[in-house]
Amino acid sequence: MTAVLAGRAPRRRNNLALVIHQVKYEQLSFWRNPQSAIFTFVFPVVFVAIMGALFGRLGKSSYFGGLTALQYYVPTIAALCVLGSCYGQLAVGLAARRQNGILKRVRATPLPAWGYFTGLLAHCILDSLADIVLIVGVGRLYGVPFPSQWPAIALTLVLGAASFCALGVAVASLIANAEAAPAVTQLVLFPLLFLSGTYMPISSPLIDRVTGWLPIRPFNEALTGPLSRHAGADWRHLAVLAAWGAIGAIVAVRRFRWDPRPE
Amino acid sequence: MHQDLTGGPAPVAAAPSGAAAAAGAGAQSGASTHSGAGAQSGASGLSGAAGAAVRNEAARAITVAGLCKSYGGVRAVRDVSFSVGQGEIVALLGPNGAGKTTTLEILEGFRARDGGQVRVLGLDPGDKSAARELRERTGLVLQDIAVEPYLTVRETIARQAGYYRAPRDVAAVISLAGLAGLERRRVRSLSGGQKRRLDLALGLIGDPELLYLDEPTTGFDPAARRGAWDLVRQLRTAGTTILLTTHDMAEAQALADRVVLLSDGTVVAEGPPAGLGGRGAEHARITFTLPAGVALADLPVPGTRREGSVVIETAQPTVDLHRLTSWAVQHDVALSGLTVDRPSLEDVYLRLTRDATPPIAPDRSPR
Repeated sequence: MTAVLAGRAPRRRNNLALVIHQVKYEQLSFWRNPQSAIFTFVFPVVFVAIMGALFGRLGKSSYFGGLTALQYYVPTIAALCVLGSCYGQLAVGLAARRQNGILKRVRATPLPAWGYFTGLLAHCILDSLADIVLIVGVGRLYGVPFPSQWPAIALTLVLGAASFCALGVAVASLIANAEAAPAVTQLVLFPLLFLSGTYMPISSPLIDRVTGWLPIRPFNEALTGPLSRHAGADWRHLAVLAAWGAIGAIVAVRRFRWDPRPE
Repeated sequence: MHQDLTGGPAPVAAAPSGAAAAAGAGAQSGASTHSGAGAQSGASGLSGAAGAAVRNEAARAITVAGLCKSYGGVRAVRDVSFSVGQGEIVALLGPNGAGKTTTLEILEGFRARDGGQVRVLGLDPGDKSAARELRERTGLVLQDIAVEPYLTVRETIARQAGYYRAPRDVAAVISLAGLAGLERRRVRSLSGGQKRRLDLALGLIGDPELLYLDEPTTGFDPAARRGAWDLVRQLRTAGTTILLTTHDMAEAQALADRVVLLSDGTVVAEGPPAGLGGRGAEHARITFTLPAGVALADLPVPGTRREGSVVIETAQPTVDLHRLTSWAVQHDVALSGLTVDRPSLEDVYLRLTRDATPPIAPDRSPR
């Protein structure tokens, strides 16, 4: 093989350059799609602004676990945005790309699978990062102090984004047709968001115990510590989240298909 | 738009010179790179029969022997064998459900085969470890248009170029595919024909030794189709091997060095388009209509009536045509609609595929 290759000077980019190349075009594609840009960035700002208008003047309360309303909502909405940028974007987007034949076209090039998925992951982490910065900024306007535990936030963000990306790819792998993807994604997500306390605090120990073993509540908790309580990394919840990420990754690796017409 | 393809000569071999100013990466790609890969493999250290066999193998871009593939109980491809020489253009013909796309997808590495031998550029497309190398050296133009809607034409091609070891120059490929002037247009705003040409550009950007074209001109207007044919001929001149499928007999006739006709999962005929299915040896047909009052028996050569016309099938058309027209002039008989032809490729195609069972589910079934 090396003898055959000798005729053509290998000029392939190194791995990092390849991933950056992928991220660049994923970002271009993303920002030019008005739907994704608005859902990802206008929605959280509007939501935090509404919550600020409603509850901004209230002080700390036991209803919000000893936090102000905005201290409660800044991390949960941040978690929601990461979910949308990672799980939602990939579950729906990859199913559509497969159905359109875009994935098959990618598969026909020398771009390795890891390059494609690493590019997607980095793209989703960037979107999540932009979301968090935006939400923390808007929260500051309503009196939520800037967090101090940035390393813990970064770790939680990257781990959460990776886990929800893996779950998104897993769901895209299990959904056969792209039309069903948004419905299936929302069907799973919406009740779980409610039960996990994203929209309002849950005062049922039973529900808390159950959702504590599902992916969303641990992520909410893991973000609330460093964002609103100046706490460090929440290892117990991060471990639950990582376990879900691993399950997603296993399903994704075993079941992911590039071809719209399976054999 | 179409002028870029039809009128403006944009020879493939010119890619290196055109590229030089724009990008170093593409500058040395182009026609010359094709010869290297095959020629160097196997030539050294081998002698005698083994060496000849290897060299012979190296001269073939694709060899398929006894290929089989079933979907459930349906045997989509059974015992298909053919080969494609380096630099050759071969057309895979056949009705829907004949096994063309299945065969193509096995060659492209998208599907696993049930049995048989397949070699593409000396590699086995069923071997996952060879996949990246194979994709590096082959280009694909698929039937379905599949591109990200929000990128521009240039971005789409530049993105794909970044996946290859030694891609062609982006600007050169844009003009080659007839997309000049559309570089900054979003893909979603392109017409169907323009998207097909973008597909073609994506197939060419990696500077492939072997190009698969799956119904490349479906949906093209006649001028765009001619332009695409010119492009294919330019690629042949540059040494690219091309395996194409088409339902357009004129396209196969115009482009292909050889035709492989599939029907019901098997090869029913193979050869140059002019001689397919014994077409070259078949009798010529003289066709015309006789005015009222002139009987078939009056003719100097025997003929038959078919759908209101008279048809004379002859092994010596020159002689028989001379006799016929001399007789007609002598007796002042007008032979209206007079034509001389041979069975067309389409006639042969229809005759050879007539007995094929129609596809069960044409929409989703593997073709």
